[in-house]
Amino acid sequence: MTAVPQVPPAGRPDPSARRRPTSVARRRSSGRLWRAPGPTPTGVARLLPRTVAARVRTLTAVAAVLLVALLAIAWWAIANAREGVRVIGQDAGPQVVATGDLYFQLTDMDAQLANALLIGGAAGGGRDQALARYDENRQKASAALLKAAKLADERTEDNTARDVLDALGRYERLAGQALLLDQQSDHASGPPSQRVIDLYRQATDLMKLDLLPKAYNLTLDNGTLVRHTYEDKRSAVLTGRTWILVTGVALLAVLTGLQVFLARRFRRLLNVPLAAATLGTLLLVVAGAAMLSGQASHLRKAKQEGFDSMLALSRTRTISNSAAADETRFLLDPGRADAYEQVYLSKSQTVLYLKAGNLDEYNAAVQKDLSFVPGRAPFLGFLGTEANRPTESDERRTQLVDALNKVLKDYQKVQANDRQMRNLVHSGKRAEAVAARGTSAADFTEYDRSLQVLAGIHQKAFDEAVKDGDDGTGGWYTVLPVAGAVIALLVLVGVRPRLAEYRWSK
Amino acid sequence: MNGRRVAAALLAVFVLAAGTACGIADADETSVATKDTLVIGVNADQPGVGERTESGSYEGFDIDIAREIAERLRVTDVTFTPVTSATREEMIQNGDVDLVVASYSVTPERKVKVSFAGPYYVAHQDILVRRSDTAIRSIHDLQDRRLCRVPGSVSFPRVHDEQGVAARPVVANGYSGCLTGLTAGAMDAVSTDDLILAGLASRHGRDLRIVNAPFTDEPYGVGIRKSDVNGCEAVNKAITRMYQDGTAARLLAKWFAPVGLKVTTTVPQFEGCV
Repeated sequence: MTAVPQVPPAGRPDPSARRRPTSVARRRSSGRLWRAPGPTPTGVARLLPRTVAARVRTLTAVAAVLLVALLAIAWWAIANAREGVRVIGQDAGPQVVATGDLYFQLTDMDAQLANALLIGGAAGGGRDQALARYDENRQKASAALLKAAKLADERTEDNTARDVLDALGRYERLAGQALLLDQQSDHASGPPSQRVIDLYRQATDLMKLDLLPKAYNLTLDNGTLVRHTYEDKRSAVLTGRTWILVTGVALLAVLTGLQVFLARRFRRLLNVPLAAATLGTLLLVVAGAAMLSGQASHLRKAKQEGFDSMLALSRTRTISNSAAADETRFLLDPGRADAYEQVYLSKSQTVLYLKAGNLDEYNAAVQKDLSFVPGRAPFLGFLGTEANRPTESDERRTQLVDALNKVLKDYQKVQANDRQMRNLVHSGKRAEAVAARGTSAADFTEYDRSLQVLAGIHQKAFDEAVKDGDDGTGGWYTVLPVAGAVIALLVLVGVRPRLAEYRWSK
Repeated sequence: MNGRRVAAALLAVFVLAAGTACGIADADETSVATKDTLVIGVNADQPGVGERTESGSYEGFDIDIAREIAERLRVTDVTFTPVTSATREEMIQNGDVDLVVASYSVTPERKVKVSFAGPYYVAHQDILVRRSDTAIRSIHDLQDRRLCRVPGSVSFPRVHDEQGVAARPVVANGYSGCLTGLTAGAMDAVSTDDLILAGLASRHGRDLRIVNAPFTDEPYGVGIRKSDVNGCEAVNKAITRMYQDGTAARLLAKWFAPVGLKVTTTVPQFEGCV
């Protein structure tokens, strides 16, 4: 700031001069611009400068300090806003989508491995296709993991990402062994040999107990990171806005005070450069505060209307998907059927909670009317939270309600299929139940697609808010120093001739 | 100088506004994540899991887990308080305890009232019978038999309501009471989580038998006040680290290897705090 070095320290005049104020005052009282000082000031008042020049200089200095403070606070608040938008918009947001997908890629790898082993080496059996899909999933999973590791900002999270990578390596080794052994035994289609099955069981246990839980926990870690960033940065932006208003108003007061002081002492109507500086400050403060309000609002929208739902729906998809896997296991492993049924109920209630003592009751409850008024959904769970999430835009609310109604309709179908399947099993028609899996798998895919459509609406809101946030601070790193220099220059231009006038009058 | 007075008034308004803005930011002063002392609710009557010894101290798998979590939260002073299945939610809601580590299964019903960090372990419900009783081989053999029911515990409803097996309830106040009833012949079976059964069986190894027909997943969560998201996330992190540095595996081996229970030593899938 050019103005600073020229301004004497506010402590002036020095104490020795104060002890003999009368002589100084008397000599100067003859001057046109000088008013005789009152009685010797005491207490705090003694710190105030008592000559015109010193007062003008002090006010200018205070204005300069406030201007620098204003610019520094604005810079800091903007930096926080940009960092918040960057972490939420460019890092963690896309990352949640990536780790959510990771879960599906891992699940599908396991399914394709089972397919490849079941199909065997018979020509045209589709083993190559299964293995190609396995490889494709593995590549995507590795890419998603690499992203997760990059984002990890804490040792615990970093270790989790590394553990997943490590477990994936072990899984692949088991899978490779199983495939090789199966090829060597040269079996056509149908169940592979016991040794191959044992290897596959080891692999699938590793997947179920080690890889998938950690992949899910990584998604949760991302949610934590975003929540902390959001709270820190939004609070910083709002605090920044408050302090911009505080320093801005103080600066305006000082500039106005200087204007009034000059008008009285120097008998001028209006100091034009000073008035321009005051106006410029007013504009800067108003524009800065408005911009920061906008940033806080963009951050809130990105987090609450976009990210929160994206994360919750990613978890909904994951839990639904693993519940569907438990349905299959219920069919294939009668020895643990009771446990798989209980877990299926628990996962279903996590997705959409209705009070029910057992799966029979739950299935029946889900088939009742699930229509809802946003904010007062008659069910809880992930979908209940989504139904109750507030949205500002009316247009989006309509879209969301429609998409969620579609999800609920598809979910009812999935649960109806489940009931049918279990009824068949309980009445001893296991083969029929297995045969019906094709249709119910198609219905599940449809339900999963509806969830993605719903998530897509939130993704759009998220992208818009992030873009608005990015655009909102664009250019401000240029605006701040330029505005600062202009205001400082105007103050200087306004004050200098008056000081000069005072020097001549001496 | 009137202008200055107006400016001063405006300044005062904004300073006040700044004060309120800061007040909103740190609303989580009482989060478990930042506390120096913790009151942790534990079971007092589950051998091997959570039990009060004659000297008045506590020991068991849950107790060690609770201590390790507290250490990782940098808590200096931990007090254990006994809770029962019937009182856990209320004690968390009232703030009588900060955390509950008491073989506390995460269920959708309970999640309506409290939050769960973890689970730190996924147990499985099984059945304990007298060794002489060979008729009970799965939960479906409990039809019309006398089964221990502990109020507030989900174990009996899991058999009776979820699986639809019409067992006859015999009420006991905690699983030690069930054990007494079983050995005295007042009931035919005790059904609850394998970790608890393993501890009970180790007391009367000769006379009792675990059926080994697990029929549920019981994710053991750490109960915490619903609004304390920061605390819940901090506990999750502590659990993750316990698995990463091998503490969890060591504790599982310490308490359950001697009774021959097969345990999982990888971190469970968390519930999520929001």
